[in-house]
Amino acid sequence: MATAPLTVVVCPPARSRGCRTMRPVAGTWGSDGDLLRAAQAGDAAAWEALVERLGPRVFAVARAFRLSWPDAQDVYQVTWYRLVTHLDSIREPERVSAWLAATARNESLRALKRSGRQVPTGDDEEFDGADLLALPPDAGLLASERQRSVWDALARLPGHCQRLLRMFMADPPPTYEDITAALDMALGSIGPTRRRCLDKLRTLLVGINGDGERSGTQEDPR
Amino acid sequence: MNDQPEHPDEDEYEDLLADLRDAGRLEAVPAEAMAAAKTAIVWRTIDGELAALTYDSSLDDLATAGVRSAEPSRLLTFEAPGLVVEVESLDAGARRRLVGQLVPAQAGRVEVRHGDGTTEVEADDLGRFTVDDVPPGPVSLRCVGATATVAVVTDWVVV
Repeated sequence: MATAPLTVVVCPPARSRGCRTMRPVAGTWGSDGDLLRAAQAGDAAAWEALVERLGPRVFAVARAFRLSWPDAQDVYQVTWYRLVTHLDSIREPERVSAWLAATARNESLRALKRSGRQVPTGDDEEFDGADLLALPPDAGLLASERQRSVWDALARLPGHCQRLLRMFMADPPPTYEDITAALDMALGSIGPTRRRCLDKLRTLLVGINGDGERSGTQEDPR
Repeated sequence: MNDQPEHPDEDEYEDLLADLRDAGRLEAVPAEAMAAAKTAIVWRTIDGELAALTYDSSLDDLATAGVRSAEPSRLLTFEAPGLVVEVESLDAGARRRLVGQLVPAQAGRVEVRHGDGTTEVEADDLGRFTVDDVPPGPVSLRCVGATATVAVVTDWVVV
């Protein structure tokens, strides 16, 4: 978003200490396509930067499909392994994040199928309901009040909203093209759906925070 | 690019989106998974021919899927121009057992790359091989037929 169009740092093919210590943080490397092309040329530091930048989105896809924690890790890893395998056949390096999103979607569907769980279909009515969002083990202990409220509100949203908004929990956030690839949504419907889901989320958050304040003042010492 | 300044609430959405990203930190990519992805570049094969996954029994009936029970075994087919690798993945307790065959039938070596490292086995004259004690997770097979000049490397798949 706010990244300046910097030139790509091209490291020598051999492991170069100088290159590693000077490695810029993900986000200052130039475009996704620049990183991918550098990785194709054998630049391991560019590959690592690509993993750092796009990894959260890959993981978000698996979690949007409500995979268990171990299944989500498998999907995340196999998606990157597949990119390595197909590194030289990526024809549109600038669209690598959509390629990753589509691969993570396919692997997530496989994982759902393997575990005997229902695969969400177009109308995703059957996907809605009280299936609580599973946070990673121990995450709750570290959560701030605000974070907890957001998760509570998310869990009360319809399934399609949970899925879409989970994608936006990735940092940096996905592009609409990534979401099209990951969730099989029409590009034109993402904006309006996101708006409706965010409106619902906001309403729920107001309710949760209101409740929170009230219960804070009415403590029953009994 | 995707900003729509005519929408009066856009700033408030930005706040909500920032809240979502902040809440998302609680389920950040696990460190060990990220480390594995970063080092995955070493798996890059320049010496092998890629065998693409062309069949996965776990995807059968995807369009008509209702509630199904998990299958005890799974059939996978990988195809390269000169070699087909058929693999059945079986649950063996918490591990996996891979039973496979090289087609056309031929003796050779099969190296399975998995989460614990690699396991190497021989394929017999009929191309059959068995790999025991494979950890669940991503695997890829590197196959070299006895008379082959190049290795065939399969796509990665989670077993």
